[in-house]
Amino acid sequence: MDWIIIFSKAFWCGWAALGFGILFNVPPRTLFALWIGGAIGCFLKFTLLQMSVGVVFASFVGASAVGILSIPIAHFRHVPPMIFAIPSVIPLIPGVFAYRTMLGLIKLTGAIGTDYNSILSETVNNGAKTLFIIMSLAMGVAIPMHVMRKESAKNIRLIKK
Amino acid sequence: MEQNKITETKELGSLLLDVGVSLLSSGASCSRIRITMKRLATTYHYEAHISIAPKSISLTLNDEEDNVLFNGMRSTPSQGVNFKIISGISRLSWDAVEKKLSLQQVRNELNRLLSLPHYPRMIILLFVSLAGSAFCFSFGGKPPEMIIAFGATFCGLFIRQEAIKKKFNPYICVFFGSLVASLFAGAFIKAGLNINFEHAFATSVLFLIPGVPLINSFTDLIDGNILNGIVRGINALMFSMAIAFGLLIAMLIYNLN
Repeated sequence: MDWIIIFSKAFWCGWAALGFGILFNVPPRTLFALWIGGAIGCFLKFTLLQMSVGVVFASFVGASAVGILSIPIAHFRHVPPMIFAIPSVIPLIPGVFAYRTMLGLIKLTGAIGTDYNSILSETVNNGAKTLFIIMSLAMGVAIPMHVMRKESAKNIRLIKK
Repeated sequence: MEQNKITETKELGSLLLDVGVSLLSSGASCSRIRITMKRLATTYHYEAHISIAPKSISLTLNDEEDNVLFNGMRSTPSQGVNFKIISGISRLSWDAVEKKLSLQQVRNELNRLLSLPHYPRMIILLFVSLAGSAFCFSFGGKPPEMIIAFGATFCGLFIRQEAIKKKFNPYICVFFGSLVASLFAGAFIKAGLNINFEHAFATSVLFLIPGVPLINSFTDLIDGNILNGIVRGINALMFSMAIAFGLLIAMLIYNLN
């Protein structure tokens, strides 16, 4: 395990989450929490990748950790959970896979040569990874929020009646 | 008395619609909009029926005997992500429930929230550029590539903000941002620097990714707001295509493969 690389990646991913938080105009009181969230998500993802777990599952674990963390932070910082969760998972977005998919698709519009098959299989592979990572990020974030929201909706009904 | 009731209903209806469209245009998911509006309506002893379209909200307010008292609809202003408004309105709705705020107090607080400033432009540019270089590092980039990603994000975001100010179509704003960022990154590669151009190129446009529509799309689908979910998903796809198009044009200009 190369802990130095994992920690430095987590450190930088925290800054990525914070940058996106500022782009989305989050309240200043959540900025530090965002940094922590981004760093934890990335730390889990890269640790699992080092343990040779697949990239889709690693991203899902990272996003779920952020999603679960978003609930206590929502109480602690008085913000809706999505405000913490969305910027924090953005560093997990598979930019390089998406880029390779796009390039591959463009190459596929060219003439069919000898390497057409390898380009095709690489593109499908990258595309599937991109799609599934993004879906797992959305799932990891949305499902804990969903559980949380059901509870707060129940609270509202109790207050009303 | 009757006249007061009618005025109150009208005020509440217009307040609820304003809350709804502010949430919708700042990037809240449909169930959040619905829950917030209903929470406010029940606080003032009304029952709200809400329909959320991609760019408008319709509302009917009934009293407790199910008589229709208010009908209204409002379309959203330009859309952009603004989490300060979402968190502010969420707090406001709880305050209204717990502290029994009057309609006028809620209206004043809403106006205050809507007029809150964004972060200063320089701070946004610097921190988003830092995020760009952080992305570059996490994909395995080295310091020279990180610096290029920083510069590319800075220029791209600057151009995108300018394009938004000039009221271009939102997809075209993203296209400009992506084109300028990748032209910036490509210039260094064309100059013959010994760098991994995949890292520099792929991360220079990542600040444009439509993360909020993507995740909201999924949240809406899960909650059964299928139509809104699909609309948001297609919206995210259009943004991604605009990014890809800008990248592609830059690569054609530099003749890179």
